[in-house]
This record gives sequence, structure tokens and C-alpha cells, in this order.
Amino acid sequence: MSLIDEDEALIAAALNGSAYAWEKLVKRYEGKIYNHGLRLMGNNSDAMDLMQEVFLGVYRNLHRFRGDAKFSSWIFRIAHNKAVDLNRRKRLLSSQTRVGVQEETDIFETIPGDSAFEPEKTVGEQELNREIVSLLGKLPIEQRLIVELKVFQSQTFEEIADMQDISVNTAKTRFYTALKKLKVVSEETHVLS
Amino acid sequence: MSCPKTEHLIQEYFADDLAPLAREELESHLNSCEHCSSELETLLLAQSNLNQWQDQRVPHWDRGMELFRREHRVPNGGYSFWNRLQWLPTAASFAMLAILLLNVSVVSSEEGFSISFGGSNSDGAYLDSRLLAFEQDQQAVMNSLVQRMEDRQDINNIELLQAVMDQTQQATAENLDRIYAFFEQQRLQDLEDMRVGYQELVDSDYATIRSLQQIAQFVSYQGDIR
Repeated sequence: MSLIDEDEALIAAALNGSAYAWEKLVKRYEGKIYNHGLRLMGNNSDAMDLMQEVFLGVYRNLHRFRGDAKFSSWIFRIAHNKAVDLNRRKRLLSSQTRVGVQEETDIFETIPGDSAFEPEKTVGEQELNREIVSLLGKLPIEQRLIVELKVFQSQTFEEIADMQDISVNTAKTRFYTALKKLKVVSEETHVLS
Repeated sequence: MSCPKTEHLIQEYFADDLAPLAREELESHLNSCEHCSSELETLLLAQSNLNQWQDQRVPHWDRGMELFRREHRVPNGGYSFWNRLQWLPTAASFAMLAILLLNVSVVSSEEGFSISFGGSNSDGAYLDSRLLAFEQDQQAVMNSLVQRMEDRQDINNIELLQAVMDQTQQATAENLDRIYAFFEQQRLQDLEDMRVGYQELVDSDYATIRSLQQIAQFVSYQGDIR
């Protein structure tokens, strides 16, 4: 049985009221969604908010999932929309629009307890993740979303264009611009440090 | 030094569905144009830096279970029919303990069942008479069983003895026959041996007589010569 079939079986069971199936489905995707949120939102609490909103959205719309697309694509489409919404709300609440500048030290506030088993490795990983979040934080949300979808979710420009309701060429240009900006910011950071 | 093609070219480089011919063209331009190739290199480096992301573990959260259970009317902490019966073992243990501590007795009689808490004397007397009757019944049943078993054992023993005796008689007769035949054979052989022995004795007597005659002849001959 492939992973997709299993997803479909879990969805069917969850729709029939199986709390076990629902929990299994959430466990399968929570890691991806949480890390997606960390990169997009730049800090742990927003990533948690995003993840909760995504799974609430999945729960509310599960009966609408028809299975003509992969469940992973479907859930990332929801995550994408929720990230845009959350970012808009944050922008309204705060005059600070660039999350990376404001909260880049916030990301490692909550480190799960058992990661302490490998302290050195964790510190190294944290350092890299911190740098990546800091770099991504320098990009506007549209570019950050494109980088996220292209680099981390390996989506095609067609899929990205469809999700963001833009043309394929715009998606390509945005990605190129984002990479150029990342390059510049990265060089600046290295010069400063 | 810049190149007008850089932007378009690099966008195409990251495209998913670039035709093989276009890919070849792009590669050949990259090989010849230093600006484009160095630009692409730095962008690829920026992209590979991002790929160093290490997935972080999700902090503990509810996973929407509370909402799910509330809306699907699943009892908290229970996933299935069996989980809902988790209280049963504990309840059973308490019931057992109560029965033990309160010395509960359940009596079934002609009038039906009666449950009483703590021991009572009248119950004791009734119980004794019931026990006596039960014991007598059991004794009678045991006796009849023992009788039947003894009878059956006797018959079996007789049959067995009969069979053993038959077998033994037959075997003895055969053995006697065999011994008789052996003795007869021995007797005949002894007779033969004796006959041979006598014959040899007679022969040796003849030989002695003959040698004596020869000696006598020899002596008489010697006498004649002298």
C-alpha cells in the first residue's frame, strides 16, 4: 500500500469519526507543516499558530478533499493560504513587517526536550537554521513563499503559479529575484561577520 | 562585464520543463559566458545554503484531538469500544474485595437464590445436613462404582489367566517334544559311538593277537636257526 493510499484510508476513517486515524494523519504531516511555518514565519510561536490553523483548516475541509490531487499538495495549498493570511494579520498588528529582523532570536525559544540528547549536533543545526531563517526574513512574503515552495517543497513553477494565482513567468522571475536577493544578503552578512 | 541574456537564461535554467535542445543551448552559452556562469554559480550556492535546513521536532501539541472528540462525540481518552470498558477490571476487583470482606454467601435452594452477608448458624446447620446427604450420595455412588470395577477386573483377570495358561501348556508340550527328540538323538549317537568303540577294541584285539603270533613265529624261527 502506497503512502497516498494510506492517506486516503486515514482520511476516510477520520471522516467516519476515528480519532486514531485523525491523529495518525496529523502526525504524518505536522513535522513538514511546522518546519514550513518556521521558515515562513521566522519564529516558533507563529509556526505553531500556523500549524494549528492549517490542521484546523484541514479538519474543517476534509470532507471536501476529493482525492484528485495528492493530499500533501492539498495540505500545502492550505498552509500557503494560511501563511499569507497570518502574515497579513501580523502586518496589520505591527508596523514591523520584516519578521526576521524582529524575531529571529525567537525561533529557538521552545526546543523539544529530547533534542538535548545530542547537544553538539543540535547546536550546529540550530545555528544553520537560524542563519537560514534570518536570510529568508529579509525577503518579502511573496518571494519567501516562492523560495519555500520551489526549494523546500520541490514544486514546479506551474504548481506555484496556480497556487499563487500568477503567471508561470512571474513565478520564475520572482524566484530569480528572490535568489539574487538571498545572494546579496548572504554576502552582506558574511562581510559584516 | 555583463550579459543581456543573464536574467532570462538563469530563469530558464531553473525551469522544470526545459526542452533538451534549449538545455544544450543554455549549457553552451554558460560555458562561453563568464558573467552568466558566475552569476548562476552564486545563485546555486545561495540555494544550496537553504538546503542545509535541518528539520526541527514539533513541540508537543493537542493535534486537534479535543475538537475532534468533541465534534465526533468520542469520549475523552477512548478510541474504541474496548477502551470505553477500561473501568471494568477495576470494578471487578472492587466487587471481589467487597464479596470477600463482607463474607457474602449465595445459597440456592428449592425456593430460589438467597444472598446473605456474614455467616449465620441456621445456615450452618442447613449446610451440614446438606453436606451429610451429599456425602452419603457420593459414598453410594463410589461404592457402586468400586463394585462394578471389581467385577470387571475379575472377569479380565480370569480371561488373562486362561490365555496365559493356554499359551504355557502349548509351549510346554512343544518343549517336551523338543527335549525328547534331543534325547533320542543323543541316545542314537551314543549307541553309534559305542559300536564304533567296540569295533575299534575288537580290531585292536585282532591286531594284538596277530602281532603275538608274529612274535611267536619269529621266536620259533630263531630257535630253528640255532
